[in-house]
Amino acid sequence: MDPILTFVVILIGFYGLSTSTNIIKSVFCVTIIESGVILLFLNLGNLDGGSIPIVGEGITMIADPLPQALMITTIVIGSTVTALALMLCIKVFHHYGTVEWAEILRREEGK
Amino acid sequence: MLFIPVYLIFIPVFTALIIYVFKSKYVNYLALVAQFAMTVLLIMYYNAYGDQPDATLFVFGDWDARVGISLYNDRLSLSFMFLTIFTWWMVLIYTFNFRETNEKNDNFLFFLMFLQGVFLGFLQSNDLFNLFVFLELTTILVTILIAFKKTGDAYRAGIYYELINVSGVLFFLIGIIILYNSFGTINVLAIQQLLEGLPDYVALRMAYIFLMIGASVKAALFPLYTWLPKAHGVAQSGISALLSGLVVKGGLYLFIRINDMFSPANYSYSDFFFVVGGITAGVGVMFALSQKDMKQILAYHTVSQVGIMMMGLSSLPTNDLFYGGLYHVFNHALFKSLLFLGAGVIIQAYRTKKVSDIRGVMKTMPVVSVLMIVGMLSITGAPLFNGFISKTIIKYGIYDQEWKYWILFFVNIGTATSFIKMSQIFFGPKPMTILLSETPQRVSMIIIAFSCVILGTFYIPISTGFFGVDLSYVSPFGLLPLYDYIATLTIGFAFYKLVIEKDVKPVRMIREFKVSFETANYLMVIYVVALVTYFIIL
Repeated sequence: MDPILTFVVILIGFYGLSTSTNIIKSVFCVTIIESGVILLFLNLGNLDGGSIPIVGEGITMIADPLPQALMITTIVIGSTVTALALMLCIKVFHHYGTVEWAEILRREEGK
Repeated sequence: MLFIPVYLIFIPVFTALIIYVFKSKYVNYLALVAQFAMTVLLIMYYNAYGDQPDATLFVFGDWDARVGISLYNDRLSLSFMFLTIFTWWMVLIYTFNFRETNEKNDNFLFFLMFLQGVFLGFLQSNDLFNLFVFLELTTILVTILIAFKKTGDAYRAGIYYELINVSGVLFFLIGIIILYNSFGTINVLAIQQLLEGLPDYVALRMAYIFLMIGASVKAALFPLYTWLPKAHGVAQSGISALLSGLVVKGGLYLFIRINDMFSPANYSYSDFFFVVGGITAGVGVMFALSQKDMKQILAYHTVSQVGIMMMGLSSLPTNDLFYGGLYHVFNHALFKSLLFLGAGVIIQAYRTKKVSDIRGVMKTMPVVSVLMIVGMLSITGAPLFNGFISKTIIKYGIYDQEWKYWILFFVNIGTATSFIKMSQIFFGPKPMTILLSETPQRVSMIIIAFSCVILGTFYIPISTGFFGVDLSYVSPFGLLPLYDYIATLTIGFAFYKLVIEKDVKPVRMIREFKVSFETANYLMVIYVVALVTYFIIL
């Protein structure tokens, strides 16, 4: 996969963040950006024809192990962030009865 | 001795875990013990390594420093660590028996102590990816602490904070990726050495821009500040003090660190970030003037003060102006946490946040009002208080450029007006029913107020000890600064009587102006475009 394509994924995420009016959609857009960034880093550490970075017999070309180690951390953090954000979504829905940003603002002023 | 940074990260984290597991009233006191142990360890560490930062590089597991996880401390991070531990002491004492929720076993101390460990790790870490991990952890923990009040607006502010900060920090990650791809290492010191003598590559400029966006979002600079008033306004007062006093400074710390790392590349960032800082200061003060909620006013003042710090920090570290900004970081941490803690006590007693409904604080709570007045004098820059020193250094630094001076002048007048408006709470008749709080809150506030005065009077030895700069040319004694201050107050008072108190239409319009989440993200994209335009195209 071309690095340019991963940038396209990131841009799609930002397009979604700056247009979607729904909290859940915003959470997913952040996840999309995160996936794009992870794909970008894995791409750059990748090697054509290289194998996984575990030492064994007959292995001469391996991919750079550091991006993979870093990205697995990013994935873990990303899942935590998503879980927390979705939990807050549920709480917001319980308090306001809606997950639309604008609608929440309107109800807050109405109180 | 070399292991002390590791202890400083893991003592609060393990204390938090023990508190979480045992959940007893007596185990909670362990937090204070741990805090004491950390203070002792940090002082020992400072005595051993305070003047030889080269010896503090600590690499985990004897790896090569270019690939391993490493910690590094210099004067800057050590002074930030002292500030961190001091602020946490105060917030711990303040919130120990005083929460704004009514639940027993609320895990509050768990998150508070955990955040301290994470923040200390963030200050010391020497590789960029660890910085990213600690930034994300800070975001997650702060989100939980903001939403801790369990009201609708707290949840909404929490999710707003989390999403904006996470997307900003992801930009930071893209910057790290570009740097790793260019140098094959993410160690800050190694990158600084490798940058020496390199030609000016566009990729490196891109990396600088992306790292800066992460720092700007965290520091709440102009188009990206929208999360701050929401988050700091709705959190519990102890947490607001912590966030405004310290966690926002994390972004500024990152800003200094990144500029330090890229110092061999000689990017001319001063003008851009000075303008951004000036706009931040102006916009923050403008919104603060229009607000009616006491904590919203304080939160918007954090935005404007961050702008003033940015005006100082944007200059090169060889200037005195830089140290004005740095000194303001510390002063603001003190007086803003004092104001938030005092506001918390007053709000608790009067059960309302509206400035216009709170009257007669001087009669009901004389000690708290005196402490609040110390905070207000500091933030408006009265001589003998700490805000005066740093604002004067910044004023000296920009004396020769008139437009820069005028920005600072108008921000000062706005600040004075806004605190004259807030000081109306002290006057008026005594209300019938109020709920008085306990002693520990006052203890922490008194300590902070004393340190405000001490930093304002004994600034010469303190600044030489921590930053190694000589500030003896700033003098709070004498009539000129006093006249200056009184003139500012007079103009501010006139402005308050003529415009703010009457609540004229423009003020109402500013108050009702709201930025939605989509627009905030759109503004972030615009900020990226502005940075790219300034650093690459121009």
